[in-house]
Amino acid sequence: MSTKTGKGKVIAEWIFTTDHKRVGILYLIGSLAAFLVAGLLAMVIRMELSEVGPQVTDPNTYNVMLYFHGAAMILGFQIPALTGFLANYLIPLQIGAKDVAFPRLNALSLWLFWMGIILALLTFVVPDPPDIMWTGYPPYSIISPGNTALYASTVLFMGFASIAGGVNLITTIIYMRAPGMTWGKLNMFVWTTLGAFIIQLVFVPVLGSAVIMLTMDKYLGTHFFNPASGGDVLLYQNLFWFYSHPAVYVILLPVLGIIFDITATFARNRIFNYWACVVGGVGGIVLISGEVWVHHLFTSGMPNWIRVGMMVSTLLISVPVGIMVLSLIGTLYRGAIEFKTPMLYAAGFIFLFLIGGLTGIPHAIASLDLALSDTHFVVAHFHYVMAVSGTFAIVGGVYYLFPKFTGKMYHEGLGKIGFVVTFIGANITFFFMFLVGLGGMPRRYFDYSHMPELQDLQQIVTYGAFILAAGLFITLASWLVGLFKGKKAEDNPWGSRSLEWTTKSPPGPGNWAEVPDCTDYDPYGYGEDR
Amino acid sequence: MEDSTTGHHEPEWEVSPWPLVVSVGALFMVPLAFSFYFVYDKPLMAILSLGIGVPLVIASVVGWTKGGIADIAHHGKEPGFATGAMPFFIVAEAFIFVSFFAAYWVLRLKAPNWPPAGTPEFGVTIPIIMTILLVSSSFTIHFSEHAIEHGDKGGFRNWLIVTIILGAIFFLLSAFEWSHLMHGGFTMKTNLFSTFFYSITGFHGSHVIVGLIIFLCILVSAFFGKVSKTFVKSASVYWHFVDLIWFFVVTQIYFW
Repeated sequence: MSTKTGKGKVIAEWIFTTDHKRVGILYLIGSLAAFLVAGLLAMVIRMELSEVGPQVTDPNTYNVMLYFHGAAMILGFQIPALTGFLANYLIPLQIGAKDVAFPRLNALSLWLFWMGIILALLTFVVPDPPDIMWTGYPPYSIISPGNTALYASTVLFMGFASIAGGVNLITTIIYMRAPGMTWGKLNMFVWTTLGAFIIQLVFVPVLGSAVIMLTMDKYLGTHFFNPASGGDVLLYQNLFWFYSHPAVYVILLPVLGIIFDITATFARNRIFNYWACVVGGVGGIVLISGEVWVHHLFTSGMPNWIRVGMMVSTLLISVPVGIMVLSLIGTLYRGAIEFKTPMLYAAGFIFLFLIGGLTGIPHAIASLDLALSDTHFVVAHFHYVMAVSGTFAIVGGVYYLFPKFTGKMYHEGLGKIGFVVTFIGANITFFFMFLVGLGGMPRRYFDYSHMPELQDLQQIVTYGAFILAAGLFITLASWLVGLFKGKKAEDNPWGSRSLEWTTKSPPGPGNWAEVPDCTDYDPYGYGEDR
Repeated sequence: MEDSTTGHHEPEWEVSPWPLVVSVGALFMVPLAFSFYFVYDKPLMAILSLGIGVPLVIASVVGWTKGGIADIAHHGKEPGFATGAMPFFIVAEAFIFVSFFAAYWVLRLKAPNWPPAGTPEFGVTIPIIMTILLVSSSFTIHFSEHAIEHGDKGGFRNWLIVTIILGAIFFLLSAFEWSHLMHGGFTMKTNLFSTFFYSITGFHGSHVIVGLIIFLCILVSAFFGKVSKTFVKSASVYWHFVDLIWFFVVTQIYFW
């Protein structure tokens, strides 16, 4: 990092940067900011639900908080942390490129994402904040006094950032691999992220169209979703979930990718069944991801044959996902596992993801979902399978790359304590949320005075949430201590065989002095007996 | 924009202010102006937002294009991946139209009678002229691309100008038709057909504008003697895509 002409130059070099590593780090900062605000709101939501009757807020504010929590966690935290930070930082390093294909376009994606964050934060400033959940279903989103345009523009800015980022990184992966870097030598993270970007290219525009129609209906008087003049509200639900179900695979695929890389590095082992994972796992998920969205609409009214069809396709997607989880276990099998903090998160991920995945099966089965839909059981399920699993993978990924992108070591002790506390907190929170849901608690409710018997369970959930938050703050402390007081990191502190660790820590402009020759390279070449 | 990859210097971080500037401009130009005008009913604030946003966006487009020209000028760097990236971008673009057309088909096939009350008779002359214009502009941009590949800069420039003129006439005709219909009382609010008519032709028209802006950027840099063949090629692919979408618009909206 050059500091030749003082602070002004350094700041300009950061905010005007087109370097993929710095773009990635700025993505990380933005997504962690969204995570912090949305996480604090989750604490307020939990405080509200801990006892019967109004506690700390009022129903309207509560709705706004639920809106922001959902929208910011998915669009502002998980997707940008994975397809923004991790993908931007890692992919050029893992394929041996000096940068992405279009560095300036990459910076444009970054800043559009930041403008999206600003638009989302305007929720707390404008007189009539959106109170329409992150789904924005009409007719409520059209008759609500809330500012639906703010919601739509947040989605559009984040969406455009996703599309531009996707075009950019797909092109990078196809055209910028180093000499000798054949398709069979790509890290699992590169493959899974490629799959995620393909999904984004196809489905994000559909979400964009849906929110544009919504805005036009509300403010320009069109009739897309107005049944009185031949429109259809279910049209919105279909368009919305046509993107938003695949969005969970946009999150899941990079999550699995980074977990694969962490696992292989710390187990000193090859990826078990590499090609089955790539073709069956990533390919299968990409292929099936677009044919399952209707399971979000099981209770919205539809012919039973569609219910059955979508039930089958939904259950079918557990096959490619299952292949990948089995490969993870196979990668651990007979490995020399070293339980550093990133590996703890990878192991924790496997457990949480298993519970989340298994509790998804009853939702896929239409007859059961009719009873479970819109209860806290669903909320617990998707927090296990997407929210907590995804966050574990992101946190694990940050720990894994921390030496590389900061040049310092994080605090190992605090890291391990943080993991244990977070893991316990997450399981208390969301396991008991299953019980609350089975007890009949509907989701999104401000109060539950009609079912006071749930109060004890709700309180346990709230305690769990506070333990979870404490764990995350310990994690943050481990990073901050590392950043300011940590010892200098080696270039390859984990002894990984993967290409990104052959750079300096942190890598300078252009990553390598020369583009590396990858003829004899194998990202998982640990031992020759397998 | 300093060059970074030459010789024995310590490499420097590459920078460009335009991504940040254009994002801030877009923030003011689209969501803030829209919210002020349509949500909060404060037209003055909306104009102010546009006043901040539009100059920033224009400055960025100019600056970005200049940077691109400088890239070619200083180290002969071709943005060589543009042709590779364009198909992926087009996939994303196509799905915007897929969702609008899917919505249109679903709602139209469910409708008890079509067209709904309040729809005027549509003439066939204007859409046929527009189709001819757009199809011929697809050919002229192809001739232009062909010319530059054979090093014929004059031919390239002339065919590009013809393409821009054809595209501009197409756009003006579309605007004329819109204003004619609106004066006849057929607005976006009229019925379900007007909803789809204006949104789909509007989206297509916005793609025509984007295509024209890209062509203008290419033309201006061509006058400075800087032409990137890959850029011309990908702009041409984009234009063929806009043309292809028009076939769906004209057959599904006008003639069905």
